[in-house]
Amino acid sequence: MKKNYIIQQAGFLLMAVIVVLIASCKAERALPVNESVKDISGSWQVVRATRNGTDLTGIIDFSQFRINFKDGGYTMVNKLPFLVADDGKFSLDDPQYPFKITFIANGAAAVSTPFTYPIVNGKRQLSITFSPGCPNNSYLYVLQKVN
Amino acid sequence: MRSYLHIKGKGLWKFCAFITLAIVLACCGEIITGVDQPATATVGSVVPITVHINIPTLGNGGPDYLIFGFLVPKGWKGAQNTTITYTSPLGNGTMNLVPDGTVAKNGGGLTWPAYMKKTFQNGGNLIDDVEWVAYQSDKAYPHSNGDALSGDLHIKIKVGADGNNTLVKLGYVITDTGNGFTSDNNGTYYSELITPCFELTGGTGDLVDFCNPQLTTINPPKSLDNDFITLTFDGTVTDTKLNNATETYLCATAYTSDGKTISVCEQTDKTRMTQTGPNSRKYQITLWPKSFFGTTGTQTISRMEYFITDKTGATKVGYGNTLAPFTYTFKCS
Repeated sequence: MKKNYIIQQAGFLLMAVIVVLIASCKAERALPVNESVKDISGSWQVVRATRNGTDLTGIIDFSQFRINFKDGGYTMVNKLPFLVADDGKFSLDDPQYPFKITFIANGAAAVSTPFTYPIVNGKRQLSITFSPGCPNNSYLYVLQKVN
Repeated sequence: MRSYLHIKGKGLWKFCAFITLAIVLACCGEIITGVDQPATATVGSVVPITVHINIPTLGNGGPDYLIFGFLVPKGWKGAQNTTITYTSPLGNGTMNLVPDGTVAKNGGGLTWPAYMKKTFQNGGNLIDDVEWVAYQSDKAYPHSNGDALSGDLHIKIKVGADGNNTLVKLGYVITDTGNGFTSDNNGTYYSELITPCFELTGGTGDLVDFCNPQLTTINPPKSLDNDFITLTFDGTVTDTKLNNATETYLCATAYTSDGKTISVCEQTDKTRMTQTGPNSRKYQITLWPKSFFGTTGTQTISRMEYFITDKTGATKVGYGNTLAPFTYTFKCS
């Protein structure tokens, strides 16, 4: 009799533990995180440039070149070989997760290129790969916003 | 008198062990035993080339596919203009292009062409405008105990797709998909063979000389006026009138698509060439032709003639160390 009583008590205890465990679970509602819209407005300068993997930064004077993005348009100052030769409009393929930037120079067809938008040393950078001359010659410009 | 050539008793087994070890170390990798290749050809012709290979084996392994790399000028578009078959005791078949993006065995994440370029560079060619085209056998073969496989690769390549007369060292490399360009105690699993300069004639374009050092080179070798170009003057190639010059300058004339000529022949910072190292006698200038010559928006530069001068501009060096200008055509193929 006593043995049965102990088993019964243990059963109740087990049930109580299971109830407590189940009651302790609560469905967490995952809050949607809103990715910020990538805004590239402003004036950018070249901080690093390569041609077919060879560093050109110290060989060519990139300090005067600027590309200014504003209200869907862009202008270039002290031009260098670039994806486009003239000023015009630009767009990003996705405002939150952009992977491609499209330039439409005035009076010219649209040209697109993949780009990355990393934060390096606390500063946003734009890395653009393009071929302004022969298709086999690939250039990378790393742009940083001018303070 | 004691002779050191006597091999007896205890010495004999040591000698035999050494020979056996030498054989073991020397075996077990793919070997290119020879290449039959003509010395010259004309642009646009189909050139037959035979690569003789031998694959000694030790122990059992595989089956692996044979990997073959063919070094040709980029302008020949080797991947489109080449067919390769093989004959071997295990059967005949074809060598197919390794599919794009296939990662090479032991290549550190590189594709086969990139792994070949990293390992064998430009095969002794002086202009970085050649490429390794990678092929793979259609069938795999086993490494069976002690068997030696010998066979031939039969290449047919239509040469000179870019129309240029060319001097180039063609290169050949083999390995297998199980090893890559590695060596271990069993041997070396690859073999490279670079042939002497092959001459291509009958073309309409400029002579592209990959074999002989040039007084001046332009990098990238193929570019347009909207590229940055780096022009190098190598004063070590031969004695020139600029041997003792402390500074050198570029004196150039551009020929534009609208029939104009634009000369920039001044001795200023704009044209000054920088010595690549102290007393290296190699001078470089990197420029954007559109800006250097100041072309208008619609003008394009089709070609350029140039000299290298001293600071006074009076002493000039031209093509082949003569007074004729160097020439460069802006084009992509």
